[in-house]
Amino acid sequence: MGDRLNESLSWGNALIFTLWGVVLLILVLGFVTYAIYFERKVIGWMQHRIGPNRVGPLGLLQTVADILKLLIKEDTIPRKADRVLFILAPALAYVPAFGVLAVIPYTQNLYFADINVGLLYYVALSGITTIAIVLGGWASNNKYALLGGMRSAAQMISYEVPLVISVVGVIMVSGTMNLRSIGEQQGDWFWQWNFLPQIIGFVVFIIAAVSELNRTPFDLPEAESELVAGYHVEYSGFRFAFFMLTEYVYVYAIAALTTVLFLGGWQAPLAFLDFVPGIIWFLLKFASVVFFLIWLRATMPRIRVDQLMGLGWKVLLPLSLANVFITAVYLELFVK
Amino acid sequence: MWNVELTGEFIAFFVFAVMIITGAVMMLSLTQVVHMVLSLLAAFIGMAGMFVLLQAEFLAFVQVLIYAGAVTILMIFGIMMTNHQGEGAEFPRAWHEGLAAVGALALFGLLFYAIRQADFSQVTAYAPAEDNTLAIGKLLFTGYVVPFELVSVLLTVAFIGAIVLAKKEAD
Repeated sequence: MGDRLNESLSWGNALIFTLWGVVLLILVLGFVTYAIYFERKVIGWMQHRIGPNRVGPLGLLQTVADILKLLIKEDTIPRKADRVLFILAPALAYVPAFGVLAVIPYTQNLYFADINVGLLYYVALSGITTIAIVLGGWASNNKYALLGGMRSAAQMISYEVPLVISVVGVIMVSGTMNLRSIGEQQGDWFWQWNFLPQIIGFVVFIIAAVSELNRTPFDLPEAESELVAGYHVEYSGFRFAFFMLTEYVYVYAIAALTTVLFLGGWQAPLAFLDFVPGIIWFLLKFASVVFFLIWLRATMPRIRVDQLMGLGWKVLLPLSLANVFITAVYLELFVK
Repeated sequence: MWNVELTGEFIAFFVFAVMIITGAVMMLSLTQVVHMVLSLLAAFIGMAGMFVLLQAEFLAFVQVLIYAGAVTILMIFGIMMTNHQGEGAEFPRAWHEGLAAVGALALFGLLFYAIRQADFSQVTAYAPAEDNTLAIGKLLFTGYVVPFELVSVLLTVAFIGAIVLAKKEAD
Protein backbone atom coordinates (compact mmCIF):
# COMPACT_ATOMS: atom_id res chain seq x y z
CA MET A 1 0.00 0.00 0.00
CA GLY A 2 2.82 2.38 0.92
CA ASP A 3 4.67 2.41 -2.40
CA ARG A 4 1.52 2.92 -4.36
CA LEU A 5 0.92 6.23 -2.56
CA ASN A 6 4.01 7.67 -4.22
CA GLU A 7 3.02 6.66 -7.74
CA SER A 8 1.25 9.14 -9.97
CA LEU A 9 -2.51 9.21 -9.73
CA SER A 10 -3.74 7.23 -12.71
CA TRP A 11 -7.30 6.03 -13.14
CA GLY A 12 -6.23 2.54 -12.00
CA ASN A 13 -4.65 3.83 -8.81
CA ALA A 14 -7.60 6.09 -8.12
CA LEU A 15 -9.87 3.05 -8.42
CA ILE A 16 -7.69 1.06 -6.02
CA PHE A 17 -7.70 3.90 -3.46
CA THR A 18 -11.46 4.20 -3.72
CA LEU A 19 -11.86 0.45 -3.23
CA TRP A 20 -9.66 0.52 -0.12
CA GLY A 21 -11.72 3.44 1.17
CA VAL A 22 -14.88 1.40 0.67
CA VAL A 23 -13.30 -1.59 2.42
CA LEU A 24 -12.42 0.59 5.42
CA LEU A 25 -15.93 2.05 5.44
CA ILE A 26 -17.47 -1.41 5.52
CA LEU A 27 -15.07 -2.51 8.27
CA VAL A 28 -15.92 0.57 10.31
CA LEU A 29 -19.65 0.04 9.85
CA GLY A 30 -19.20 -3.57 10.98
CA PHE A 31 -17.23 -2.39 13.98
CA VAL A 32 -19.89 0.16 14.91
CA THR A 33 -22.70 -2.40 14.60
CA TYR A 34 -21.00 -4.88 16.91
CA ALA A 35 -19.53 -2.26 19.24
CA ILE A 36 -23.08 -1.17 20.03
CA TYR A 37 -24.17 -4.79 20.56
CA PHE A 38 -21.12 -5.46 22.71
CA GLU A 39 -21.71 -2.32 24.74
CA ARG A 40 -25.32 -3.22 25.45
CA LYS A 41 -24.39 -6.79 26.33
CA VAL A 42 -21.48 -5.86 28.62
CA ILE A 43 -23.40 -3.12 30.40
CA GLY A 44 -26.29 -5.57 30.76
CA TRP A 45 -24.05 -8.17 32.41
CA MET A 46 -22.44 -5.57 34.66
CA GLN A 47 -25.90 -4.54 35.83
CA HIS A 48 -27.15 -8.13 36.24
CA ARG A 49 -29.36 -8.00 33.19
CA ILE A 50 -29.24 -10.21 30.12
CA GLY A 51 -28.95 -7.56 27.43
CA PRO A 52 -30.33 -7.94 23.91
CA ASN A 53 -31.08 -11.62 23.20
CA ARG A 54 -34.15 -11.79 20.96
CA VAL A 55 -33.17 -10.85 17.41
CA GLY A 56 -31.03 -13.56 15.85
CA PRO A 57 -28.86 -16.05 17.78
CA LEU A 58 -27.73 -14.49 21.09
CA GLY A 59 -29.28 -11.22 19.94
CA LEU A 60 -26.51 -10.74 17.39
CA LEU A 61 -28.83 -9.11 14.88
CA GLN A 62 -30.30 -6.61 17.36
CA THR A 63 -28.20 -3.68 16.13
CA VAL A 64 -28.81 -4.57 12.50
CA ALA A 65 -32.54 -4.43 13.21
CA ASP A 66 -32.13 -1.10 15.04
CA ILE A 67 -30.23 0.41 12.12
CA LEU A 68 -32.83 -0.86 9.67
CA LYS A 69 -35.49 0.77 11.83
CA LEU A 70 -33.62 4.08 11.78
CA LEU A 71 -33.19 3.95 8.02
CA ILE A 72 -36.86 3.38 7.22
CA LYS A 73 -38.12 5.83 9.83
CA GLU A 74 -39.77 9.04 8.66
CA ASP A 75 -37.25 11.83 8.34
CA THR A 76 -38.64 14.85 10.16
CA ILE A 77 -37.30 18.38 9.86
CA PRO A 78 -38.86 20.92 12.24
CA ARG A 79 -40.72 23.68 10.40
CA LYS A 80 -38.78 26.49 12.08
CA ALA A 81 -35.41 24.82 11.77
CA ASP A 82 -32.69 26.21 9.54
CA ARG A 83 -33.24 23.64 6.82
CA VAL A 84 -29.92 23.76 5.00
CA LEU A 85 -27.77 23.68 8.12
CA PHE A 86 -30.00 21.05 9.70
CA ILE A 87 -29.27 18.78 6.75
CA LEU A 88 -25.60 19.74 6.55
CA ALA A 89 -24.72 19.15 10.23
CA PRO A 90 -24.77 15.31 10.36
CA ALA A 91 -22.65 15.05 7.22
CA LEU A 92 -20.20 17.66 8.50
CA ALA A 93 -19.92 15.67 11.73
CA TYR A 94 -19.29 12.35 10.01
CA VAL A 95 -16.82 13.31 7.28
CA PRO A 96 -13.96 14.30 9.64
CA ALA A 97 -14.69 11.26 11.82
CA PHE A 98 -14.06 8.98 8.87
CA GLY A 99 -11.24 11.18 7.57
CA VAL A 100 -9.12 10.80 10.71
CA LEU A 101 -9.00 7.02 10.24
CA ALA A 102 -6.74 7.51 7.22
CA VAL A 103 -3.61 8.10 9.30
CA ILE A 104 -3.96 5.18 11.68
CA PRO A 105 -1.39 2.43 11.06
CA TYR A 106 -2.54 -1.11 11.88
CA THR A 107 0.79 -2.82 11.45
CA GLN A 108 4.18 -1.99 10.02
CA ASN A 109 2.90 -2.44 6.48
CA LEU A 110 -0.86 -2.09 6.75
CA TYR A 111 -1.73 1.58 6.76
CA PHE A 112 -3.68 3.97 4.59
CA ALA A 113 -1.70 7.20 4.60
CA ASP A 114 1.78 7.91 5.87
CA ILE A 115 1.71 11.61 6.73
CA ASN A 116 4.55 13.38 8.50
CA VAL A 117 2.11 15.25 10.72
CA GLY A 118 -0.34 12.37 11.26
CA LEU A 119 -1.07 13.25 14.88
CA LEU A 120 -1.73 16.89 14.07
CA TYR A 121 -4.01 15.82 11.22
CA TYR A 122 -6.05 13.73 13.64
CA VAL A 123 -6.47 16.52 16.17
CA ALA A 124 -7.19 19.17 13.54
CA LEU A 125 -9.89 17.21 11.78
CA SER A 126 -11.63 16.08 14.92
CA GLY A 127 -12.11 19.77 15.80
CA ILE A 128 -14.42 20.18 12.81
CA THR A 129 -16.90 17.73 14.32
CA THR A 130 -17.38 20.13 17.24
CA ILE A 131 -18.55 22.77 14.79
CA ALA A 132 -21.02 20.31 13.30
CA ILE A 133 -22.44 19.50 16.73
CA VAL A 134 -22.92 23.17 17.64
CA LEU A 135 -24.42 23.68 14.20
CA GLY A 136 -26.84 20.78 14.62
CA GLY A 137 -27.90 22.15 17.99
CA TRP A 138 -28.40 25.64 16.64
CA ALA A 139 -30.12 24.66 13.40
CA SER A 140 -32.72 22.58 15.28
CA ASN A 141 -34.17 25.76 16.79
CA ASN A 142 -34.80 23.95 20.06
CA LYS A 143 -33.60 25.12 23.45
CA TYR A 144 -32.45 21.70 24.63
CA ALA A 145 -30.58 21.10 21.41
CA LEU A 146 -28.92 24.52 21.66
CA LEU A 147 -27.92 23.92 25.29
CA GLY A 148 -26.48 20.54 24.36
CA GLY A 149 -24.56 22.06 21.47
CA MET A 150 -23.15 24.84 23.65
CA ARG A 151 -22.09 22.42 26.36
CA SER A 152 -20.45 20.28 23.75
CA ALA A 153 -18.46 23.19 22.36
CA ALA A 154 -17.31 24.32 25.81
CA GLN A 155 -16.34 20.79 26.77
CA MET A 156 -14.59 19.83 23.58
CA ILE A 157 -12.56 23.01 23.41
CA SER A 158 -11.46 22.84 27.02
CA TYR A 159 -10.46 19.19 26.75
CA GLU A 160 -8.78 19.48 23.38
CA VAL A 161 -6.05 21.56 25.03
CA PRO A 162 -4.90 18.91 27.57
CA LEU A 163 -5.40 16.20 24.93
CA VAL A 164 -2.96 17.86 22.56
CA ILE A 165 -0.46 18.80 25.27
CA SER A 166 -0.52 15.31 26.78
CA VAL A 167 0.70 13.76 23.51
CA VAL A 168 3.48 16.32 23.20
CA GLY A 169 5.47 14.12 25.62
CA VAL A 170 5.15 11.18 23.23
CA ILE A 171 6.16 13.38 20.30
CA MET A 172 9.24 14.56 22.21
CA VAL A 173 10.28 11.01 23.07
CA SER A 174 9.77 9.73 19.51
CA GLY A 175 10.94 12.86 17.74
CA THR A 176 8.19 12.64 15.12
CA MET A 177 4.48 13.18 14.59
CA ASN A 178 4.22 10.34 12.12
CA LEU A 179 2.02 7.71 13.78
CA ARG A 180 3.74 4.85 11.99
CA SER A 181 7.18 5.84 13.28
CA ILE A 182 5.76 6.38 16.77
CA GLY A 183 4.41 2.82 16.70
CA GLU A 184 7.66 1.46 15.31
CA GLN A 185 9.88 3.05 17.94
CA GLN A 186 8.22 1.35 20.90
CA GLY A 187 10.19 -1.69 21.92
CA ASP A 188 9.53 -5.41 22.06
CA TRP A 189 8.93 -5.51 25.81
CA PHE A 190 5.81 -3.95 27.28
CA TRP A 191 7.73 -1.72 29.70
CA GLN A 192 9.31 -0.01 26.70
CA TRP A 193 5.93 1.16 25.41
CA ASN A 194 5.08 4.79 25.90
CA PHE A 195 2.44 4.27 28.56
CA LEU A 196 4.94 3.55 31.34
CA PRO A 197 7.57 6.24 30.65
CA GLN A 198 4.77 8.68 29.81
CA ILE A 199 2.40 7.61 32.56
CA ILE A 200 1.18 11.18 33.35
CA GLY A 201 0.61 11.87 29.67
CA PHE A 202 -1.20 8.56 29.31
CA VAL A 203 -3.63 9.21 32.18
CA VAL A 204 -4.35 12.76 31.01
CA PHE A 205 -4.80 11.51 27.45
CA ILE A 206 -7.30 8.83 28.47
CA ILE A 207 -9.38 11.24 30.58
CA ALA A 208 -9.35 13.95 27.90
CA ALA A 209 -10.14 11.39 25.21
CA VAL A 210 -13.20 10.08 27.07
CA SER A 211 -14.34 13.67 27.40
CA GLU A 212 -13.79 14.34 23.70
CA LEU A 213 -15.92 11.29 22.96
CA ASN A 214 -18.76 12.75 25.06
CA ARG A 215 -19.06 9.48 26.96
CA THR A 216 -19.89 8.90 30.61
CA PRO A 217 -18.72 10.41 32.98
CA PHE A 218 -18.43 13.38 30.63
CA ASP A 219 -21.63 12.95 28.63
CA LEU A 220 -23.09 16.32 29.60
CA PRO A 221 -23.91 17.40 26.03
CA GLU A 222 -26.53 14.67 25.86
CA ALA A 223 -27.45 14.34 29.51
CA GLU A 224 -30.86 12.76 28.99
CA SER A 225 -32.20 13.65 32.42
CA GLU A 226 -31.58 17.37 31.87
CA LEU A 227 -31.57 17.96 28.13
CA VAL A 228 -33.80 15.16 26.76
CA ALA A 229 -31.06 14.11 24.33
CA GLY A 230 -28.90 17.16 23.85
CA TYR A 231 -27.88 18.42 20.45
CA HIS A 232 -29.69 15.72 18.47
CA VAL A 233 -33.16 16.03 20.08
CA GLU A 234 -34.79 17.10 16.84
CA TYR A 235 -33.04 14.58 14.64
CA SER A 236 -34.64 11.32 13.66
CA GLY A 237 -34.15 8.45 11.28
CA PHE A 238 -31.21 8.61 8.94
CA ARG A 239 -29.72 11.87 10.22
CA PHE A 240 -29.85 10.70 13.85
CA ALA A 241 -28.10 7.51 12.74
CA PHE A 242 -25.31 9.65 11.31
CA PHE A 243 -24.71 11.40 14.63
CA MET A 244 -24.61 8.06 16.44
CA LEU A 245 -22.30 6.67 13.78
CA THR A 246 -19.96 9.65 14.24
CA GLU A 247 -19.83 9.00 17.95
CA TYR A 248 -18.90 5.34 17.53
CA VAL A 249 -16.42 6.00 14.72
CA TYR A 250 -14.63 8.30 17.16
CA VAL A 251 -14.60 5.45 19.68
CA TYR A 252 -12.85 3.38 17.02
CA ALA A 253 -10.44 6.21 16.21
CA ILE A 254 -9.55 7.01 19.82
CA ALA A 255 -9.07 3.33 20.69
CA ALA A 256 -6.76 2.88 17.70
CA LEU A 257 -4.90 6.10 18.48
CA THR A 258 -4.38 5.09 22.13
CA THR A 259 -3.07 1.74 20.96
CA VAL A 260 -0.58 3.30 18.57
CA LEU A 261 0.56 6.16 20.80
CA PHE A 262 0.82 4.50 24.17
CA LEU A 263 0.28 0.75 23.98
CA GLY A 264 2.96 -0.18 21.48
CA GLY A 265 0.71 -0.52 18.43
CA TRP A 266 1.38 -3.86 16.76
CA GLN A 267 4.32 -4.85 18.99
CA ALA A 268 4.13 -8.03 21.07
CA PRO A 269 4.18 -7.44 24.85
CA LEU A 270 7.06 -9.87 25.39
CA ALA A 271 9.88 -10.22 22.87
CA PHE A 272 9.52 -14.02 22.52
CA LEU A 273 5.84 -13.67 21.54
CA ASP A 274 6.97 -12.17 18.24
CA PHE A 275 5.70 -15.10 16.20
CA VAL A 276 2.08 -13.96 16.62
CA PRO A 277 1.33 -11.53 13.77
CA GLY A 278 1.25 -7.83 14.67
CA ILE A 279 -2.32 -7.30 13.59
CA ILE A 280 -3.50 -9.76 16.29
CA TRP A 281 -1.72 -7.75 18.99
CA PHE A 282 -3.13 -4.55 17.56
CA LEU A 283 -6.66 -5.95 17.62
CA LEU A 284 -6.25 -7.28 21.17
CA LYS A 285 -5.06 -3.94 22.50
CA PHE A 286 -7.68 -2.10 20.49
CA ALA A 287 -10.44 -4.34 21.88
CA SER A 288 -9.19 -3.81 25.45
CA VAL A 289 -9.37 -0.04 25.04
CA VAL A 290 -12.92 -0.30 23.66
CA PHE A 291 -13.86 -2.57 26.56
CA PHE A 292 -12.34 -0.08 29.01
CA LEU A 293 -14.51 2.70 27.59
CA ILE A 294 -17.64 0.55 27.98
CA TRP A 295 -16.63 -0.51 31.47
CA LEU A 296 -16.21 3.14 32.43
CA ARG A 297 -19.69 3.91 31.14
CA ALA A 298 -21.23 1.19 33.30
CA THR A 299 -19.31 2.34 36.38
CA MET A 300 -19.20 6.10 36.61
CA PRO A 301 -21.96 8.62 37.31
CA ARG A 302 -22.09 11.83 35.29
CA ILE A 303 -20.13 14.76 36.73
CA ARG A 304 -21.43 18.33 37.08
CA VAL A 305 -20.61 21.12 34.63
CA ASP A 306 -18.48 23.10 37.12
CA GLN A 307 -16.57 19.96 38.09
CA LEU A 308 -16.01 19.23 34.42
CA MET A 309 -14.50 22.64 33.73
CA GLY A 310 -12.52 22.58 36.97
CA LEU A 311 -11.06 19.19 36.15
CA GLY A 312 -10.11 20.24 32.64
CA TRP A 313 -8.46 23.57 33.37
CA LYS A 314 -7.18 23.18 36.92
CA VAL A 315 -6.04 19.54 36.97
CA LEU A 316 -5.46 18.14 33.50
CA LEU A 317 -3.88 21.21 31.90
CA PRO A 318 -1.23 21.76 34.65
CA LEU A 319 -0.55 18.01 34.75
CA SER A 320 0.01 17.79 31.02
CA LEU A 321 2.25 20.88 31.07
CA ALA A 322 4.23 19.35 33.94
CA ASN A 323 4.56 16.18 31.85
CA VAL A 324 6.03 18.14 28.94
CA PHE A 325 8.45 19.88 31.29
CA ILE A 326 9.57 16.66 33.02
CA THR A 327 10.02 14.92 29.66
CA ALA A 328 12.12 17.80 28.38
CA VAL A 329 14.34 17.80 31.48
CA TYR A 330 14.74 14.02 31.29
CA LEU A 331 15.64 14.09 27.59
CA GLU A 332 18.13 16.89 28.16
CA LEU A 333 19.83 15.24 31.15
CA PHE A 334 19.86 11.54 30.29
CA VAL A 335 19.37 11.04 26.58
CA LYS A 336 21.47 13.76 24.98
CA MET B 1 -5.94 27.68 -25.73
CA TRP B 2 -5.37 25.51 -22.70
CA ASN B 3 -1.63 25.25 -22.49
CA VAL B 4 -1.76 23.63 -19.06
CA GLU B 5 -1.49 19.98 -18.24
CA LEU B 6 -4.57 18.61 -16.53
CA THR B 7 -3.05 16.98 -13.44
CA GLY B 8 -4.56 16.07 -10.09
CA GLU B 9 -2.75 19.01 -8.53
CA PHE B 10 -4.28 21.39 -11.07
CA ILE B 11 -7.81 20.13 -10.35
CA ALA B 12 -7.21 20.28 -6.60
CA PHE B 13 -5.96 23.85 -6.94
CA PHE B 14 -9.15 24.89 -8.69
CA VAL B 15 -11.38 23.11 -6.21
CA PHE B 16 -9.66 24.86 -3.29
CA ALA B 17 -9.61 28.20 -5.10
CA VAL B 18 -13.34 28.00 -5.73
CA MET B 19 -13.84 27.03 -2.08
CA ILE B 20 -11.87 30.04 -0.83
CA ILE B 21 -13.56 32.52 -3.13
CA THR B 22 -17.07 31.18 -2.59
CA GLY B 23 -16.49 31.14 1.15
CA ALA B 24 -15.23 34.70 1.17
CA VAL B 25 -18.02 36.03 -1.04
CA MET B 26 -20.72 34.23 0.94
CA MET B 27 -19.21 35.52 4.17
CA LEU B 28 -19.84 39.06 2.93
CA SER B 29 -23.23 38.55 1.37
CA LEU B 30 -25.04 36.37 3.91
CA THR B 31 -26.90 38.04 6.76
CA GLN B 32 -27.13 35.39 9.50
CA VAL B 33 -24.06 35.30 11.74
CA VAL B 34 -23.96 31.50 11.88
CA HIS B 35 -24.10 31.23 8.09
CA MET B 36 -21.33 33.81 7.74
CA VAL B 37 -19.08 32.00 10.20
CA LEU B 38 -19.66 28.75 8.35
CA SER B 39 -18.66 30.22 4.99
CA LEU B 40 -15.57 31.57 6.71
CA LEU B 41 -14.82 27.98 7.72
CA ALA B 42 -15.05 26.90 4.07
CA ALA B 43 -12.53 29.59 3.12
CA PHE B 44 -10.16 28.51 5.90
CA ILE B 45 -10.34 24.86 4.89
CA GLY B 46 -9.66 25.88 1.29
CA MET B 47 -6.58 27.75 2.51
CA ALA B 48 -5.43 24.66 4.39
CA GLY B 49 -5.82 22.69 1.16
CA MET B 50 -3.62 25.25 -0.63
CA PHE B 51 -0.94 24.79 2.02
CA VAL B 52 -1.07 21.03 1.46
CA LEU B 53 -0.57 21.61 -2.26
CA LEU B 54 2.46 23.77 -1.44
CA GLN B 55 3.84 20.89 0.65
CA ALA B 56 3.53 22.84 3.88
CA GLU B 57 1.57 20.15 5.69
CA PHE B 58 2.39 21.41 9.18
CA LEU B 59 1.01 24.84 8.40
CA ALA B 60 -2.05 23.29 6.75
CA PHE B 61 -3.15 21.26 9.75
CA VAL B 62 -2.29 23.97 12.26
CA GLN B 63 -4.49 26.23 10.14
CA VAL B 64 -7.40 23.79 10.46
CA LEU B 65 -6.75 23.19 14.17
CA ILE B 66 -6.61 26.87 15.14
CA TYR B 67 -9.34 28.16 12.88
CA ALA B 68 -11.78 25.32 13.50
CA GLY B 69 -11.59 26.20 17.20
CA ALA B 70 -11.84 29.89 16.42
CA VAL B 71 -14.88 29.34 14.20
CA THR B 72 -16.63 27.41 16.98
CA ILE B 73 -16.01 30.22 19.45
CA LEU B 74 -17.11 32.86 16.94
CA MET B 75 -20.26 30.86 16.30
CA ILE B 76 -21.06 30.74 20.00
CA PHE B 77 -20.60 34.50 20.27
CA GLY B 78 -22.75 34.88 17.19
CA ILE B 79 -25.49 32.80 18.77
CA MET B 80 -25.32 34.48 22.17
CA MET B 81 -24.88 38.12 21.23
CA THR B 82 -26.97 38.73 18.15
CA ASN B 83 -30.71 38.57 17.77
CA HIS B 84 -32.16 36.20 15.23
CA GLN B 85 -35.43 37.94 14.50
CA GLY B 86 -34.71 38.83 10.85
CA GLU B 87 -32.20 41.64 10.52
CA GLY B 88 -33.97 44.39 8.55
CA ALA B 89 -32.68 44.63 5.00
CA GLU B 90 -30.79 47.84 4.26
CA PHE B 91 -32.35 50.01 1.59
CA PRO B 92 -30.45 49.58 -1.67
CA ARG B 93 -28.25 52.40 -2.88
CA ALA B 94 -27.93 52.01 -6.61
CA TRP B 95 -25.03 54.42 -7.23
CA HIS B 96 -23.11 52.83 -4.35
CA GLU B 97 -23.28 49.40 -5.90
CA GLY B 98 -22.48 50.79 -9.34
CA LEU B 99 -19.36 52.50 -8.07
CA ALA B 100 -18.27 49.34 -6.26
CA ALA B 101 -18.73 47.34 -9.47
CA VAL B 102 -16.64 49.80 -11.48
CA GLY B 103 -13.92 49.77 -8.82
CA ALA B 104 -13.85 45.98 -8.69
CA LEU B 105 -13.67 45.69 -12.47
CA ALA B 106 -10.85 48.22 -12.62
CA LEU B 107 -8.92 46.33 -9.95
CA PHE B 108 -9.47 43.07 -11.81
CA GLY B 109 -8.25 44.65 -15.06
CA LEU B 110 -5.16 46.02 -13.36
CA LEU B 111 -4.29 42.73 -11.70
CA PHE B 112 -4.98 40.75 -14.84
CA TYR B 113 -2.76 43.04 -16.89
CA ALA B 114 0.02 42.89 -14.30
CA ILE B 115 -0.11 39.13 -14.11
CA ARG B 116 -0.08 38.75 -17.88
CA GLN B 117 2.90 41.10 -18.14
CA ALA B 118 4.87 39.55 -15.30
CA ASP B 119 7.86 37.48 -16.23
CA PHE B 120 7.83 34.20 -14.35
CA SER B 121 11.24 33.06 -15.51
CA GLN B 122 12.40 29.83 -13.95
CA VAL B 123 13.91 30.73 -10.61
CA THR B 124 15.98 28.12 -8.81
CA ALA B 125 13.86 25.07 -8.12
CA TYR B 126 12.36 25.24 -4.66
CA ALA B 127 13.21 22.21 -2.54
CA PRO B 128 10.85 21.82 0.43
CA ALA B 129 12.32 20.45 3.65
CA GLU B 130 12.01 16.71 4.12
CA ASP B 131 10.26 17.16 7.46
CA ASN B 132 8.98 20.70 7.58
CA THR B 133 7.76 20.44 11.17
CA LEU B 134 11.37 19.88 12.19
CA ALA B 135 12.55 22.71 9.96
CA ILE B 136 10.01 25.16 11.38
CA GLY B 137 10.88 24.15 14.94
CA LYS B 138 14.60 24.62 14.34
CA LEU B 139 14.10 28.04 12.75
CA LEU B 140 11.78 29.17 15.54
CA PHE B 141 14.34 28.39 18.20
CA THR B 142 17.42 29.66 16.39
CA GLY B 143 16.95 32.49 13.89
CA TYR B 144 13.55 33.68 15.01
CA VAL B 145 13.70 33.09 18.75
CA VAL B 146 13.23 36.77 19.72
CA PRO B 147 10.12 37.42 17.60
CA PHE B 148 8.75 34.07 18.75
CA GLU B 149 9.16 34.93 22.42
CA LEU B 150 7.74 38.42 21.85
CA VAL B 151 4.63 36.95 20.26
CA SER B 152 4.27 34.57 23.21
CA VAL B 153 4.46 37.50 25.64
CA LEU B 154 1.91 39.42 23.58
CA LEU B 155 -0.48 36.47 23.68
CA THR B 156 -0.01 36.08 27.44
CA VAL B 157 -0.76 39.78 27.93
CA ALA B 158 -3.93 39.50 25.86
CA PHE B 159 -4.92 36.40 27.78
CA ILE B 160 -4.44 38.01 31.21
CA GLY B 161 -6.21 41.14 29.98
CA ALA B 162 -9.23 39.09 28.96
CA ILE B 163 -9.36 37.43 32.38
CA VAL B 164 -9.12 40.80 34.17
CA LEU B 165 -11.91 42.28 32.04
CA ALA B 166 -14.15 39.25 32.59
CA LYS B 167 -13.48 39.34 36.34
CA LYS B 168 -14.37 43.04 36.58
CA GLU B 169 -17.67 42.37 34.90
CA ALA B 170 -18.43 39.44 37.19
CA ASP B 171 -17.94 41.48 40.39
